[in-house]
Order: sequence, then structure tokens, then C-alpha cells
Amino acid sequence: MQGFQERGGGGGAPPDLAQLQSTMRAIELACTSIQMHMNPAEAEATILLLAQSHQPYQACKFILENSQVANARFQAAAAIKDAAIREWGFLSPDDKRNLISFCLCFTMQHANSPEGYVQVKVSSVAAQLLKRGWLDFTAVEKESFFYQVNQAISGIHGVDVQFAGINFLESLVSEFSPSTSTAMGLPREFHEQCRKSLERDHLKTFYCWARDAALSVTNRIIESNSAIPEVKACNAALRLMLQILNWDFLYKSSGAASSVFSGGVRQDNDSPKRSEVNLVQPGPAWREILVTSGHIGWLLSLYAALRHKFSCEGYWLDCPIAVSARKLIVQFCSLAGTIFPSDNVQMHEHHLLQLLSGIIAWIDPPDAVSRAIESGKSESEMLDGCRALLSIANITYPTVFDQLLKSTSEVVKNLMNNDSEEETWSWEARDILLDTWIALLVPVNRNSGNALLPPEGRSAAANLFALIVESELRAASASAFNDDVDSNYLQASISAMDERLSSYALIARAASDVTIPFLIEVFAKGFARITQGRGLVDHTECLEELYSLLLIIGHVIADEGEGETPLVPNAIQTQFSDILEAEKHPVIILCSSIIKFAEQSLNPEMRELVFSPRLMEAVIWFLARWSSTYLMSPEENADLNSSKVLVEFFGQHNQGKPVLDIIIHISLTALVSYPGEKDLQALTCNHLLHALVLRKHICVHLVQLDSWRDLANAFANDKNLLLLDTAHQRSLAQTLVRSASGLRNSESSNQYVRDLMGHMATYLVELLRKNNLKSIAQQPDIILSVSCLLERLRGVASASEPRTQKAINELGFAVMNPVLVLLKVYKDESAVVYLLLKFVVDWVDGQISYLEAHETAAVVNFCMNLLQLYSSHNIGKISLSLSSSLLNEAKTDKYKDLRALLQLLSNLCSKDLVDFSSDSNETQGTNISQVVYFGLLIITPLITLDLLKYPKLCHDYFSLLSHLLEVYPETVAQLNTDAFSNVLGTLDFGLHHQDIDVVDNCLRALRALASYHYIETRGGKTGLGSHAAGLKDQGGNLQEGILSRFLRSLLQLLLFEDYSPDLVSSAADALLPLLLCEQGLYQRLGNELIERQPNETLKSRLANALHGLTSANQLMSTLERKNYQIFRKNLTSFLIEVRGFLRTK
Amino acid sequence: MYYEKKTRTLANTICAPPPSPFFFESNAIVPQITVVVVSSIANGQTMSDEEHHFESKADAGASKTYPQQAGTIRKNGYIVIKGRPCKVVEVSTSKTGKHGHAKCHFVGIDIFTAKKLEDIVPSSHNCDVPHVNRTDYQLIDISEDGFVSLLTDNGNTKDDLRLPTDEALLTQIKDGFADGKDLVVSVMSAMGEEQISALKDIGPK
Repeated sequence: MQGFQERGGGGGAPPDLAQLQSTMRAIELACTSIQMHMNPAEAEATILLLAQSHQPYQACKFILENSQVANARFQAAAAIKDAAIREWGFLSPDDKRNLISFCLCFTMQHANSPEGYVQVKVSSVAAQLLKRGWLDFTAVEKESFFYQVNQAISGIHGVDVQFAGINFLESLVSEFSPSTSTAMGLPREFHEQCRKSLERDHLKTFYCWARDAALSVTNRIIESNSAIPEVKACNAALRLMLQILNWDFLYKSSGAASSVFSGGVRQDNDSPKRSEVNLVQPGPAWREILVTSGHIGWLLSLYAALRHKFSCEGYWLDCPIAVSARKLIVQFCSLAGTIFPSDNVQMHEHHLLQLLSGIIAWIDPPDAVSRAIESGKSESEMLDGCRALLSIANITYPTVFDQLLKSTSEVVKNLMNNDSEEETWSWEARDILLDTWIALLVPVNRNSGNALLPPEGRSAAANLFALIVESELRAASASAFNDDVDSNYLQASISAMDERLSSYALIARAASDVTIPFLIEVFAKGFARITQGRGLVDHTECLEELYSLLLIIGHVIADEGEGETPLVPNAIQTQFSDILEAEKHPVIILCSSIIKFAEQSLNPEMRELVFSPRLMEAVIWFLARWSSTYLMSPEENADLNSSKVLVEFFGQHNQGKPVLDIIIHISLTALVSYPGEKDLQALTCNHLLHALVLRKHICVHLVQLDSWRDLANAFANDKNLLLLDTAHQRSLAQTLVRSASGLRNSESSNQYVRDLMGHMATYLVELLRKNNLKSIAQQPDIILSVSCLLERLRGVASASEPRTQKAINELGFAVMNPVLVLLKVYKDESAVVYLLLKFVVDWVDGQISYLEAHETAAVVNFCMNLLQLYSSHNIGKISLSLSSSLLNEAKTDKYKDLRALLQLLSNLCSKDLVDFSSDSNETQGTNISQVVYFGLLIITPLITLDLLKYPKLCHDYFSLLSHLLEVYPETVAQLNTDAFSNVLGTLDFGLHHQDIDVVDNCLRALRALASYHYIETRGGKTGLGSHAAGLKDQGGNLQEGILSRFLRSLLQLLLFEDYSPDLVSSAADALLPLLLCEQGLYQRLGNELIERQPNETLKSRLANALHGLTSANQLMSTLERKNYQIFRKNLTSFLIEVRGFLRTK
Repeated sequence: MYYEKKTRTLANTICAPPPSPFFFESNAIVPQITVVVVSSIANGQTMSDEEHHFESKADAGASKTYPQQAGTIRKNGYIVIKGRPCKVVEVSTSKTGKHGHAKCHFVGIDIFTAKKLEDIVPSSHNCDVPHVNRTDYQLIDISEDGFVSLLTDNGNTKDDLRLPTDEALLTQIKDGFADGKDLVVSVMSAMGEEQISALKDIGPK
């Protein structure tokens, strides 16, 4: 392989022509052979050699100018860039300038070359080099480059050159934007400075140039009737303008501090409010250019002119220039912020109206537009129009822009009308428009109570909702026979549906005086239809309609509680405040009619005919949602409430109790009469019943109901309920025990639990007495009943409350021995093992804080036996299976088991924190810390680094570890060397984990460890003793003490690696005690770091920063709270100062 | 409804006096659980009482499989698919038509051959569940012809079990044995077949 370096010498004597030509030929050959797939490795090596050779510029220029092979020219440009970025420091100022202007001139001169990608590459090379030298060049030098570019863009050298100039600016702007910049091996600070400088000094000028370029060709484009070359330049100018408007303007001043930690990624991406729309907030300086100069008027008229040309040759709806123009217009719709003066609202209003008047033609008249799309017209314009509406909606309030709202709502309404056919574009349009409505309506609903929507808006909303219901029902009946629901996407489609329904609900509530009566009517119709045709016709369509209707109504009249008690929605509360008789209250009528409908499911004949499992799911879902808002609402005693009639009607003293009774009957029916319908059972157990018993005043009534007793009885005796999914049995057990809170006193509550569960425990005990236990235990039916029982016990255990604690305590002690025996018997039945462990975990969690000393000892003893038994079964065990998926399953099982064991240990730990036992002050109790360490030692060998890849296990493990180290560092210090290094090894692993919480836990553990050592040694004690001092290993090499090791790795992490800024304060807390413990090492590390800096400025900056870290703000060498706070502050400013130049991109 | 008569019992219990035990007390209500085992130790197989009459008598009373409602079979459980004992690795439910009844879709892995098998059963119907037994034996010897010699609990040896044919599994056993470790093998049997399923090292010899 020939070398290029001696041939392409830039600084020395000019190389002779023959050499240049042979280099060119070698590169051309390599490029062609890559294309032909002949020996690509060697070809790549040849090209790489060029890029890596010393000063290959002469050769590259020669290739660019003379080669006929486009790929070779492309590679030459790439080589220039690679070499120049690498050798930038050695190049003379003249060389640098020459390289840039060579590239610039090359693009201008060959602007009409057909191989566009070469031109783009060369101009991006120019942009990259210009950026590389950005901070070195004087303003005059930069101006001379830009003068050249400006000349080109102004169009005096022709359209092609104009295009090339705009193209160059495009690469330049994207190069200066941190997220799209190329890596240059320079500190992040450099990229940041370039960005600021460009935004401050040039961005606006570039925008004007692009605008002027576009303006200059506009007339010619408008006048001509076919595609002309100017279109290309105009399109590029529009693209550049869009790109500049997309610039991440520095209006957020907080951006500077956070970008130091993980550069390149915008921090505000996850803010929930700005859904799809990014606001464009360039600031007041841009007002003149963007708003007041009539710029938008020009843009709109340009697009309007383009629209007329779509029939002409070379233009169509999706031609590049039309697309760019539309995008730019949509972008203008999101223009907001200080660019509009706060004292001149009209200006913004005018701006939006102007845009709207331009956009309206794209979507209005909606029916005509959608007809045109159906008959083959491209939908992109309409979608862009919708997007623009969304952008506008996002930045305005309906109260301010009355007329704006009116027009949008009209448009939306009409569009929804045409929306029923299932085509992708209409779905997309619908989603965008719904978003628009939400954006308009959400502020209305937030503005406490009084709906501020103007009357036109309200009637539009009402009409719209009627249309929505109609089309949803039509869609429902149309899809009634579709059986192709892909279960993989089910969850996603459910949540999408949920989202859609809640936006429907918003619309309905905006005009609830019309929509609620409308819903009553529709529901009554459906109800009537289904009862009329019973048994005679197939009414699947009807069922599906009712199903959707129930979902819609549920969303309209009640909110999702999300863990809290939802209130009656504001809109509904205020709307009907003048209706005082319950019989006339529309919401009451609606609810009553649905409950009446649901009640029909109790009739076996009706159930058979009408209540399919799916419809029943909707019924149960509705009842759950409805009851958490309306049933015996705690608000009913508040006098001043505007919806008093409503909540009183379903309150404790009115219809509440009968309705509750009906609901329980319906749930029992759902559980017993629908065998094998897991979804229905899940809804009933987890959703409806579970939510009911969470409210104490409902429990009081529940336990008095016969229907509830029926349910409890069925649970204890009915074999049908043993056939429920075991998870649902758990939930049911929990629910039933929770309801005990409604009983009079703790005595009767305990008795209730004993009656409910006692015999199950007895069954377990008796099972173990059988002498052939070992053989019958493996029978599937026994496994099933043992699993059911364990799940039920677990459910009960997790329902522990002070009132029922005694009974559950007895229950647990009664099954302790059986649990150990079962663990032995079922050691190969992973599912049962897991249930056993989870039961113990939940039981200990519920009970530990109430246990008396002797009980604690018994429980601890039991847990240790359990851990040892589990460990003895599993350590060193290899599963021999041919099936990789079974092996994976085995691994997952192991992970779940270990996680349960860790939870068990954490639960035991909590005894030291919360203790309600009567003798908690006595000291002779069990030493929990030792127990937990012992437990940890038992299970640590089972946890492999592979298993720590399971995030939850990892999380649990590290939170337990950090808890232990924080609370009992002295116990750790007493561990033997092996155990200690094992524990700390995992800590080191966790420190470099990706999960913030894990790292945080490790940092907390480190802090605990180091501060313990520091305080102890200052007090003259040994602290961590030999662990901290460092050891001689078997080979006689001195190993560093663990604190030094962690100081090193923590500094490495803080200075050079990526992490979340949230971690800085906990890192500071860990670093301070480490520094104090290992001051000598810290000094050494600091000096090394300073020595490594390439130049004096950075050296002194770093030295100052390091000095500031330990001495600013009167930091002292103690571990007081105040000192920690000072150090946090110091570390943050230290990192902001130094990470900019220590980290490179 | 049969649970009506029980209403009084629980109604009482909530208020005060202790009830008579009613859980799993009556055979008529919970048949699966009150199993009276008539064991025939000679062949190591069991037969349960009158409630389990689903296996034909010709099968010498060996309850190789038990019926269980499809809806109650969970992941990690066992199921018979196409006559083969399988471990369930995936269960999903769907409906027959939108307003029809639920059915369960099982994906199982044959516990002996590791082949993947699938089945769809209405969730209220019964499936066969294999009786899978595991017994631990100490490994005494590995013979040249691919058989192992195992020590049973009562001191006899069991010599009729083949080594796995898969190379990787084979080396795992052979290497451990050659290292002189004390190995316990777990033998899984179901529906008349048996196989070594796991290996455990209980320390050096």
C-alpha cells in the first residue's frame, strides 16, 4: 500500500503532477471498487490512508478539481475535513483561511454540477472548518467569508450559486446547533460558545438573507406557469428560514447550567404540557423581521399563488416548495413569547388572524375538502391546516380569541362529520383536531367553575358531541363482528381509546345542558332495542353500541380518581345547580337508568340473552367509575355545595344503600356466573370491589348488607370462587378483610377475619399431617388448592390494619411451620415457592411493627430458617433443560424469588424504625441489624451480576444495601474481609449503573460509610479499620483501602462521565466525607489532573476551581449539616466551571 | 342457591358466636381438596377417592393427569397438549367473537423434548394437567453405555435412567462427576416418562 503523506505535503515544496495524478487514480479506483463490491476492505483502507495522512490538502484539492469520479471527490472532501480537524492546531492562519475559502469557492463554482451530494458535502466541510476556527477568527475574517456568501445568496451570480449559498448557511446553522453538530474532540464549552455567538451576531442576518433571496425570486415564480430553476433556490430559502425558526433560542436562561452535565440533549423534552407543539420564542429582537414587516403576508400570498399553480406542470400539492411553505406557515402559528409586546395584545391577535385567514382555505369548506381527498387528492394540506389550528389553540385562550374559537369550532365540527370512514388520514386528522379542542377547553375547565365558553362555542360543542356519539356508535356496530383484535396491541389501543374518550368527555361537558339529556335519550333507545328483540334476532351490534355508550357516559359524568377520591366534575356541578328536584336532575336520571339496566343482569334469563361477558365488563367498569364519584360521596354534608341534590340522592340516607346492595349483587353474579372470564373477574375484584372498601363510610354499610355476607360466604365455601384466577382470589381476600374496618369494634373485626380465614389455615395444617404428603403434594389438584390458599392468605396479610392485626397475627403464626414444610415439599415447584415467599413478605410487612419481643424473636428465627432453606435448595443448582425458554423462565423465577427475599429483609429492617409493641423500650430484643446482615450474607451468593440486570431486583438490592449502611455502618465494619469486599464490590457496580435511583442509593451508602469512618477515627476509634487502610493481598501487592478506591472512582464519575444533574447533591454528600478521610490522595489526584491540562489557562482555571471547591463559602472540615450544604453548592459551581473543558465532543 | 343456607352462619359470625367450621368440611362442596389417598406404594403411584374417576380403570388407577378448568391454569403451571406434558410459558385470553365467551391460548414447552406446543381451550372447559413428580437421587456412577446409577432413599440403586443426549447437558453432568463433586440429580417424571431435570452440587466428596 502506498502512503500518501510524502506526496501531498502541503507546507513543503509543491508535489509534482505525476504524484498527484497517481494518488487521484488510487482513490478513484478504491471508490469504484467499493461501488462494485470488489475487495471493499482494501479500498476502504486506501481511502482511510488518505484521510489519515499528513497534510493531504494538496492531493485532495487536486482530486476535487480534476477527478471525474463523483465519489472520489466526495471522499476527498471528507479527507480534508478529517485531516484539518485533526491538524488544526498546526495549521497556519493562512492555511486555515485558504482551506475554507477553497471549499466555499468550490461549491460556488461548481454550483451547477449534477452530483448534488458532493456539493453538499463540500459545503458542510466548509461549515465545519469555519466552526472549528470560529473563536480564533477575527470579526473581519468572518465578515469576508460571509460577504462572499451574501453575494451568492443575493442572486447576482445566478440561481445555482444562490442555491449553493443558501445550502452553505443551512449546513452552518445545523453545525452550530449543539444537537446536530459534528464531534470535534473539543470541550462542550466550545460548542456552547459558538452557539451563543451565532445566535447573537448572525442568525438574524442569515434569516434576512434567506428572506431576501426568496423575495427576489418570488415574482418570477408567480409569473411563470411552469417549473423554473428559481423554485429550487426559493425552496432552499424557505427551508433555511424554517430551520432558523426551529433554533433552540436561549430564552431559557436556566439552560446554561444544566447543559454541562449531559450535553447535546435538550433537558426540557419531557415537560408534559407541550405535547407535540414546540413554541417558537425568539425574543423581542426578532419582532421587526418576523411580525411587523409584512413578512407573513408575503409568505401567505406566495403559498396562495402556488396553490393556483398546482394544475401546472412541475407543481403539485406535495411538491417540495409547497411543503416547505406550509411547514413554515405552521411554524409561524407557534410564534409566541416576548416577540409580541405585552402591552399590545392586538398585535398577536392580528398575527394569528392573518395566519388563520391564509390557512382557512386549506380546510374550509370541510366537506368539500374531505370529498376531494376521498377522490384522490393528497391529504397533506388538510393535515397541515389541522396542525396549524392545533398550534394556534395551544397558545391562545378562547376567552381572548372569541372569534377565533368560533371559526375553529365550526371547522372542527364539519370535519368530524366527515370522519367516520376508517382511513388513516381521517384518523390522524381527528386526533389532531381533538388535541385542538382539548387545548381550547382545558383552560376553560381549569378556570374554576364558570364555563367561559361563548354560546356559539357551546352549541358547536353540543353538535359536535352528538356527531361524535353517532359516529362512535356507527363504528361500534360496524365492528361488532370483527374478531381480529390483535391481543398484542390491545393494551395500546385501550389506552389510546381512553385518551380519546376523555377528550370526548371534555367536549360533552362544555355543553352538558344539552349533551346529558341527549345521552339519556340515546341510552334509552339502546335499552329499548335490546329488550324488544330479545331472543329473536342476533343483537351483537346492539350490544356493541351499548358497550361503547357505557364507556362514553362513564367518561362524561365521572373522572378517573387516580388514587384520590374524584369529585363531581366541575362542569356538571355548575351546570345544573338550579335544578332542585332530584327526579328532574338529568344526571340522576341518566345514572338511575343505567343502574336499572345493570340490575337486569341479576335475572338469569336476561343475563343469558343480553349480558355478554363484554357488555358485563362495561357495566362493571361503569359502576366502579360511577360509584367512586357519586355513591355516598363524602361531600354530601357540605351545605354550600352547588350539586347538593345530586350527591344527596345517592347518599347514605337516600338511595345509597339500595344501590350499594345492587352493586354487590351484580359483582357476585359477575364472579360466579361467568366462569373463566378473567377480564370480567379482574375488573370486578380489582376495580369495583377494591375501590369500594377503600372508603370507610361505605364499609360501614357494606358489612350490614346481606349481599356482602353472601359474598363472604361464597368466598369461604363456594367452589366456584376457588376457580377464580388466583390473583383475583388474593384481591378478593384482601377486599373482604378490609371491609372489617366497617365493623363496630376491633373485637368483632378480629372475629370476622377468623371466621373468614380460620379454616383455610386449618386445612393447611391438616394437609401436612398426612403421612403421604410427599407424594400427594405433587398432584395437580393439591397444588392448585395450596396455591389458592396461599394467595388468599397473602391477600389477607396485605390487608393488615390495626383493627384486624390480632387475627392476622394468629393466622400467620398458625401457618409458620406449614410454610417451611411446604417450601421443602415444593422446592421444585417454582410457582408455589414464590407464593410462599410472597405470603411471608406481606405478612411480615403488615405485622412486624406490632410484634412483641418474644414474637419478634420467633419471626426472625422463622425468617432465617426460611432463607437458609431456600438457599440450601438453590445454591449450586443447575437446571438441565433443552429448552432455552424454560431456562430463561427459571432465571426469571429466581429473580422474582430473590427480590421477594430482599423485600423480606427490608421489611425486617423496618422494625427498628417503627415499633408499636408494648415493650419496645426494653433493650434485650433481637438485634435486627445482625439478623439482616446475616440474611444478606445468605442470599448474596445467590445474586449474580447477571441477575442484577433485572432492574427491579437491582433497585431493591441497592436500596436495602444503602439502608443497611446508613443505619448500621458499625455492623458492616465488623464483617470479615471476603464478605466486606463482596458487599462493596456490588456498590462499585451500582455506582456506574444507569438508573439514577441505584446510583443515588450507592452514593448514600458511600456517604454513610465514609462519614462513619471519619467520625470514628477522629474520636480515636478504629472506624473501618483494616478495610480503610488497605491490605496486602496474597501476591504481596498493596491494595488500596476502599475509601481511596471510591474517592478515585467518584471523582472520575463526576468529572468525566455522563450523569443526571440530579445526582450532584448526593454525590457532594458522598464526596465530602471521602475527601476528609483521604486528604492526601485527594491532593495528589488534584495535582495530576492539573498537570494533564494542555495549556496554562486551563491549568490555572482548574487549580482555582479545585481551590474553590474546598475553601469557598467558609467550608470547614467537619460533617455538620451546614457544611454539607455549603459543599453541595461548591461542588455544583465547581462542576459547572470545569466540566465544560474537561469533557469533550 | 346452595349458599343461601350458609348465610345465617356468617351473619352470626360477624356479630358474635363462633360458628362451626365450614370451610372444606363437606366433600360435596370442595371435592378436590378432601383427597383420601389410597396408595399403592409398590409402583409408587397414587389413586384418589371416588371423586377422581376420570382415568380409565384399565390404567391400573394411575392418575397420570387431572382435569382442571382452563381459566385456572397459569403461566409456570403444567398442561397436557396433544398428549404431551408441557410447562405453560404463555397464557393469553381472548374472546370468541366480541360478545362471546373467553378462551385461553396456551403456549407450552414439552417438559421432556423441549418442543413448543400450542392449544386453545374455552376458559370454562377442563384441560388435562399432568401429574409431574420430582425425586432427588444421589448420583453414584455413570456407565459407559449412557446410563446412570442412582441411589434411592431406601438404599437400593436405580439403573434404568439414561443420560441426556444433548452434548452440553451431558458435559455438565460428566464434568461435575469427574471433578469428584457430590452430585444430586433431580428426576422428573410424568405420564410414564422420566428424565433428569436438574443437577445440584452438595459439596466435594
